[in-house]
Amino acid sequence: MTTADNNFDRVQLSVDGPELNSRMVTEQVSRDFFDVTRNYKLVIAVLGSVFLIGIIALIFRFLDGFGVSERAQWGYYSAMFAFLLITAGSAPLVAVALRWTKNHWRRPFSRVSELYAAVGLFTILWFIPLMALLPPLEGRRSLWVSSEFIGVPLWWDFFAVLGLVVCGLALLILSAIPDMAVLSRHGNGPRAKFLRSFSGFWRGTQAQWNYHRIGLTALGAFYFMLLVMVQTMINVDFVMSLVPGWKDSIMPAHQALTGIQTAIGLTLVTTFILRHTGRYKDFIPMESFWSFSKILLALSLLWAYFWFAALITFWYGRTPTEQNVLKTFMFESYRIPFLLNFFFSFLIPFLLLMWNQVRKSIIGPTLAGASVLIGAFFMTIRLYVPALGIEDPTGHALKAVQPAMLPDVLDIFIILGGLAGAALIYLLASRIFPILSIWEVKEGLLYSRVRPLLRSKFLVLGKPE
Amino acid sequence: MQEGKILGYKTINRDLLRGLFENPVKYWAIVMFLGLVVFIAVFAAGFMVNRGIGVTGLNRPVFWGFFITNFVFWIGISHAGVMLSAILRLSKAEWRRPATRAAEVLTIFSLMTAVLMPFIHTGRPWRLMYWVFPYDFSRGIWPDIRSPLVWDPSAVNTYLLSSILFVFIALVPDLAVVRDRSSGIRRIAYSVLSLGWRGTPRQWKLQAIAGILLSALILPVFVSVHSIVSWDFGMAVSVNSWHSTIFAPYFVIGAVHSGVSGVVTVMIFMRWLFGWEDYVRREHIDALGRLLIVIAVAWFYFFAMEFLFGIYGQEGDELATRSLQMFSAPWGWLFLAFIITSFFFPVPLWLFRNVRRSFLWMTITTISVNIGMWLERFIIIVPGLARKQVFTQSWYTYAPSPIEIMIIIGTFAMVLMLFLLFAKIFPLIPLFDIKEGQILTDEIKVGRRKVPAVIRED
Amino acid sequence: MATHSVLALYSDAEYAAEAGEALDNAGFAKEDYDFLTDTPYPEGALGERHNSHRLYVFPFVGALIGLTAAILLTAGTQLAYPLVTGGKPILSIPPMAIITYEGTMLGAILFTVIGIIFESRLPTFKKHIYDDRITEGLIGVVVDCDDDNVDRAEQILTQAGAEEVRREAA
Repeated sequence: MTTADNNFDRVQLSVDGPELNSRMVTEQVSRDFFDVTRNYKLVIAVLGSVFLIGIIALIFRFLDGFGVSERAQWGYYSAMFAFLLITAGSAPLVAVALRWTKNHWRRPFSRVSELYAAVGLFTILWFIPLMALLPPLEGRRSLWVSSEFIGVPLWWDFFAVLGLVVCGLALLILSAIPDMAVLSRHGNGPRAKFLRSFSGFWRGTQAQWNYHRIGLTALGAFYFMLLVMVQTMINVDFVMSLVPGWKDSIMPAHQALTGIQTAIGLTLVTTFILRHTGRYKDFIPMESFWSFSKILLALSLLWAYFWFAALITFWYGRTPTEQNVLKTFMFESYRIPFLLNFFFSFLIPFLLLMWNQVRKSIIGPTLAGASVLIGAFFMTIRLYVPALGIEDPTGHALKAVQPAMLPDVLDIFIILGGLAGAALIYLLASRIFPILSIWEVKEGLLYSRVRPLLRSKFLVLGKPE
Repeated sequence: MQEGKILGYKTINRDLLRGLFENPVKYWAIVMFLGLVVFIAVFAAGFMVNRGIGVTGLNRPVFWGFFITNFVFWIGISHAGVMLSAILRLSKAEWRRPATRAAEVLTIFSLMTAVLMPFIHTGRPWRLMYWVFPYDFSRGIWPDIRSPLVWDPSAVNTYLLSSILFVFIALVPDLAVVRDRSSGIRRIAYSVLSLGWRGTPRQWKLQAIAGILLSALILPVFVSVHSIVSWDFGMAVSVNSWHSTIFAPYFVIGAVHSGVSGVVTVMIFMRWLFGWEDYVRREHIDALGRLLIVIAVAWFYFFAMEFLFGIYGQEGDELATRSLQMFSAPWGWLFLAFIITSFFFPVPLWLFRNVRRSFLWMTITTISVNIGMWLERFIIIVPGLARKQVFTQSWYTYAPSPIEIMIIIGTFAMVLMLFLLFAKIFPLIPLFDIKEGQILTDEIKVGRRKVPAVIRED
Repeated sequence: MATHSVLALYSDAEYAAEAGEALDNAGFAKEDYDFLTDTPYPEGALGERHNSHRLYVFPFVGALIGLTAAILLTAGTQLAYPLVTGGKPILSIPPMAIITYEGTMLGAILFTVIGIIFESRLPTFKKHIYDDRITEGLIGVVVDCDDDNVDRAEQILTQAGAEEVRREAA
C-alpha cells in the first residue's frame, strides 16, 4: 500500500524544500540504478587494482611466515579485520535502531547503512587466516570456561562472525525486496530480469507488508544482539586474552560503542557522497544530517567517557600489569596511534559538533563522521597490533612494556587493499540493491506536510502509532 | 500516539493546580503519616550520633553497610530526573510533557536524601567539613583531591545545584499562572518567585532554549555523578569484585534503570492522589515501559560483562568472592531475589502491551525493579568487604541493626513527603508544556485514516 | 516617548496575529508592540518581531571561570599539603581532571541560568500593564505609544476583534 505509485500528492520534506511525490522517488532511483556511468566504471577499476595489489602483498606476507609463532607480523592484518568488523559490521545497526524508534528522518539513510551488510562477505573471508594465528588457550586467561571445550575459541568466533554476516544479508535482502520488485518493473535487461526472479512474488499486499515489518524488527533484534556478542568475543580473543593480566571489563563495550559511533560516521560519509554523485539531493534533506549529528556528538562524548573510566581505574590501581598496559597501549609504545585515536574519535567531532551552526549543515556532520572513522582505525591499530605481538601470553601479569611495531610496506598495501576490497563489494552490491530505500522514503512522504500556523509555515509530521 | 482530548486552558489550570488550592483529607493524612516515620528516623539518627556508630551493625572489615547502600540507591533514583527530562527534551518526544517536572523534582529530593546518608554514616557529621571543603587555613591540612571520596561531593553538589536551578527556570512560567490565580500574601510570594513573568515571545523563546541548553549541560554532569559514586568502589584494588573498569557505566545504567522505574511509580501515585486521569495517560506509561525495556536490557549487558570479567581472571580470591555473593546464604538468596526482581520478573512482562498500559502492573513491576536495584547495591558492597583479602586480619559478616533499618525507612518516607509538600506549593505537571503540546497537535489524512501529527519547530 | 500602554485581550490567536499585522500597517514600529501569551507559540507564528539574544556567550564565560577556579583549587590544595598517597604524584592529572570537569560544568550551568534570566529581561520590578486572564488562555497585545497615537492604537486593536481594550499611563 505505502509504496503504491498512485499517491501523486506533492509534499515537502522540509519547510523550504522542493515539492516531491512518490512517483519521483521511483523514477529517480530506477534511473540511477540502471544507468551505469563512466565514473562508476572508473572507480570500480581503480578499487579493483588497489585490491589486487593488496592481494599480492598478502601473498608475500604468507611467504614471510604464517602460523602461531609468526603471528607478530600479522598484527596489522588483524587490526584491519577489526576495523572492517567495527565499521561495516555495525553500520546496519543505524537502520535497525532508527527503524525501532520510528524516526522519519532516518528514511534516506536506511539502505545506505544496511547495504554494508554485503561487506560482511568480505569480512568473513578476511577472518579465515586469523584463525590459524591464535596461540593455544592453555595457561592464559580467556572468556571460555575450559580450553578443552570443543572448538574454542576459533570455531566459535568463526561461527559468530558468520552468523552475523548471514543475519545482516538476510536483513538487507528482506528490506530491499519491495524496492527490487519496483525496480524490476522499471527496467529491462539482465539485471531487471534477475531482480524479477528474486522478487517476483512481491505484490505489496497488506499481509506482505505486515510480514515484512515483523521480519525486519525480528532480524534487527537478532543483528543487534549478535553484533554486541561478536564484538565482545573478537575483542577478548584477539586483544585482551593475548595480554597476560589485562582484565578490562569495559573494553568490549568500548569497542561496541566505537562500532555504533563509526556506523553513524560511515553512513554520513556514504550519504554525503551519494548526495553529491547521485540524483537524490531532494530526498536527503539537511535536517536528516542535523538529527544524526546530535547522536554522533553524544556518542563521541560517551567514547571519551568509556576511555576515561578505563584509564582512571588502571591509573588508580597502579599494579605492575596495569601500569604496563597503560604504557604499552596508550602512553609510551603506541602513543602516536593513541593520540590520533583520541583526537579523531573524540576531540575533533566534539569541537565540531558542539556548534549548532556546524551541526545544522551537511558538511559539518560529514566531517565529524569521517573523523570518527579515522579515529576508529587508529584504535584498532593501537589495540590489535601490540596484542598479537606479545610473545608469551601465559601467566597472570604483563611484566614489561611492549615495544611498538611499525607497519612495513606490505602492511600498508594490505590495509589499502582491504579498504578497496570493502568499497568494491559495497559498490557492486549497490547495483543489486538500490542504495536509496524506495519504500521507506515513499512512506515518509505520506506523513510529511508543510502547513501554515497563524503567520508562519511549519513542518508537520504524522505519527501513525 | 496522542490519545487525549483537547482540553481548554481553564480546565488545564483547574486540574493541574488542584493540588495547590484544595486540601483533601487523604493528602494530609499521607503527609502526617510520612512525617511521623521521618520523625522516628531523625530520632534514630540522633541516638546514633549520641551513642556512636557502635549501635549500627557496621564492623571490621564491613565498614560500609546499609547507609552507603542507601546512598548509592538514592543517587541512582536521582538519575531519573535528568535522564528522562533531558533526553526526552533533546529528542523532542511529545510524551515527555507531563513527566518532566516530576522527574526533575524526584532528582532533587532523592539527591538531598542521598547526601544525608554519608553524613549520617560518618557518625560525627560536623567533621565532614574538614575532609571535603578546603578551608582549614590555620593548620594547613587540606583535603586530598586524589581521593574518590572527595570527588563525590564535588559531583553531587554540582548536580544538586544544577538540578535545582533547572527546575526553577522551568517553573517560572507556571509560577506566573499560580500568581494570577491567587490572592493576598500568596500572590506576593508567587509574584516574587515568578520574577515578573509576562509571557512575551522573547521570554518564551528563551524558555525554550533554556530547556534544551540546560538539558545538554546537565546530561554530562548526570553521567559523571554516578560514575564518581562507582569510583568510590572501583578505585580500590584491595576489595575483590570492585576494581572493574566497567563500574562507571554499569552504575550509571543501573541508576537509570531504577530511576526511570521510580518516576513511573511516582507518576502513577500522583495520578491517583490528584486525579490527573487526563494528563498521565496509558500512552505515557506505555512509552515509558518501552523505554524501560531498552534500559533494562542495556543494564543487563553491563551486568553480564561485569560478572563475566569477574571470573575471567580465574584468580582464586576473586572467584571465592563471587561464589560468596552467589551461592552462600544469606547473600545467595539476596542475589537470586535481586536478579529476579530487577530483570527476570519485570522485563518479560513489559514485552506485553497490556502490561505496559496497565497502571496496576506498571506499579508492581517498577517497585519490583527498585527492590532489586537496592539489593544489587547491597550485594556489590557488603560481600566484597566481608571477604576482603589484602591488609585484612579478620573476616566477618554484616547484619543491619534496628537503628539502621529505622533510618533507611525514614529516607523513603522523607523523599515521598518532600515530594508531596512540593506538590502543595508548586505545580508538578508543567502547565505551559501541556498547553504547548495542544497547540502543536495536528492531523494528517492518509487515505481514509486520520493520523495524529505534530508540528515541528525546526 | 511612550506615555501610554494599551492592552488588548483576544480569545483567538488568529485575531491577535491580525492585530499585530494591522499595527504594522498603521505604521507602529515592531518594537512598540508585543504579545503576551500563556504558552509558547512556535517562533514566528504570531508574526512577532525577531528576538536576538546572546545567551550562547554565557556558558562559555562560566565554563572558563569554573575551569580556572577548579584548576587553582585542585592544584593549590595539593601543593599546600604535599602528601604522597598510594604512590600518586603531587599534581596528579586524572583526579584533577575529574574535579576540574565538575567545576567547569558548574560554572557553565550557573552562568547559563543567569544568562537566561538576564536575556529574558527578568526580573522586572516595574509594574507593566497586565491581565490575569492571560494565563487562562487569552492572548494579550500590548502597545506602547505616545498621547497622539493612543486612540488610534485602541481603535486598531478593537477592530481586530479584541474582547477588551485597556489603557494605562506608562
